[in-house]
Amino acid sequence: MKAVSKHFGHREAVSNLTLDIPAGQAMALLGPNGAGKTTSIAMMLGLTRPSRGHVRLFGADPGSVQAHTRIGVMLQGVSVPDRLTVKESLNLFRGFYPRPLPLAHLLDISGLAGDARKMAGQLSGGKTRRLQFAAAMAGDPQVLFLDEPTVGMDIGSKRQFWDTLRTFIADGRTLVLTTHDLQEADVVADRVVVMNSGRVIADATPERIKMEFGGRQVSFVAAEGQAIDGLRQWAEVQDVHTAGRHVAVLTKDSDQVVRRLILEGWDISDIMIAGGGLEEAFVRLTDQAGGPA
Amino acid sequence: MRALWSQWKADLLRTARDRRFFVLTLGMPIAFYLIFISEAGQDLKISGTFWSAYFMVSMATFGVVGSSVNTLGVRLATERKSGWVRWLRTTPLSSTGYAVAKILTQLTLSLLIVAVVFAVAHFDQGVTLSIRKWVEIFGWLWIGSVPFSALGVLIGLAGNAAQILGTLVYLTLSFLGGLWTPVQMMPKTMQEIARWMPTYRFANPAWDILEGKSVPLADVAILLAYTVLFIVAAALGQKWIDARPEM
Repeated sequence: MKAVSKHFGHREAVSNLTLDIPAGQAMALLGPNGAGKTTSIAMMLGLTRPSRGHVRLFGADPGSVQAHTRIGVMLQGVSVPDRLTVKESLNLFRGFYPRPLPLAHLLDISGLAGDARKMAGQLSGGKTRRLQFAAAMAGDPQVLFLDEPTVGMDIGSKRQFWDTLRTFIADGRTLVLTTHDLQEADVVADRVVVMNSGRVIADATPERIKMEFGGRQVSFVAAEGQAIDGLRQWAEVQDVHTAGRHVAVLTKDSDQVVRRLILEGWDISDIMIAGGGLEEAFVRLTDQAGGPA
Repeated sequence: MRALWSQWKADLLRTARDRRFFVLTLGMPIAFYLIFISEAGQDLKISGTFWSAYFMVSMATFGVVGSSVNTLGVRLATERKSGWVRWLRTTPLSSTGYAVAKILTQLTLSLLIVAVVFAVAHFDQGVTLSIRKWVEIFGWLWIGSVPFSALGVLIGLAGNAAQILGTLVYLTLSFLGGLWTPVQMMPKTMQEIARWMPTYRFANPAWDILEGKSVPLADVAILLAYTVLFIVAAALGQKWIDARPEM
């Protein structure tokens, strides 16, 4: 994708986005709702034409049939066809591709072998997602595009699903995944692109993104006469905010901060530890980037 | 080609499981046929042919229009709303492939409807025609159903309104086109209106074949014009929808 923008009326959903996803990469597009992830995916698939800029898929038009035979797609907010069983739905998709995977294999990786004869429309939300995944895999794709694949799955299904994805990537294939779950990005991807308000605000390995976004906040009330300036010199402390006697310490290692505070006998009370929270982190990062918060 | 075949097979299977299709689209013309025929009696004649044969054509037409305009329209609208169409656009089945598969399905269903209505007329009411006439009428009703598929595609763009709009258009066109009451029995103004209805232009050549005439060119021309009109309108509508945000 090169210098791509997409407007819907006056709203700019994606703003001057440039993204190169090489073959074999597992990339997670991470961001809060409305960040422009789904629109970006839609443009990569040729579903939506960019208002400005160019999108290429395998160096060709992303809307072309040739490109589509080599990809598998799982979209958001899409139902499965009615009046077809799980098996028939999968065979429908298998019929679209020149070299489909065997039906038994698809049922196996989606864990739907026991539901093959059930009507697809009557599956639970989690199973529907798994059927959509199996359909996306039907053509033995080189690249998988998954838009928020695990929404509606319970944690057990999620873990199983992530395992399947890792097997897929280990084969040297390419994965493009959108999510607002940092853990999911961390487990599956080797590159995380963070978007907010239609812009890329970070592009790094999951480890780096976790450091950046997974920070904790340790807050407490310092007693009268307890000096707090020394905190800023601690290696594990990123930032300190004070409001009167209220102190908030931003850190990547809340355990160590608390341990030192206790062992060094700080005269403090009301100790609280809070997760950095992606949403807060997004706001923080976007502020830094000078974009609208 | 493979993708198209797969989609066509699945669509037929889905129709075969659709109770609404059998009750409304197939059941209604047959029920109407049997009711109106038994009321009129077997020997009634109209425009040079038996009423039972004339009304057989009317009801076959009625059924084909219903399946194209109403059933197809509603199904397209549902598939569009459910995001299914969007998903299909990311598979090797192109938009064109999807449309062609739908038209093929529709032609198959038209074939079935016409065959069933003809069978009922033949075996229940003893309607007999020469093999040539059977084939000619059958062929015409099959090919002539295309503009109504195009109208169905257009109605399929109407989203939530497709169900009501489809039923309304289907019944209005059938009534105004003289599929229920023969045009000859209508008041003058209604007759004039009927002549502009695609339904009338669809059924009229079949009635003419019954009488031993050939297919009037005016009917073919007007149906062609309607086809172009519906397709252009559907293409414009599609363009307008694409320009709007979908999320």
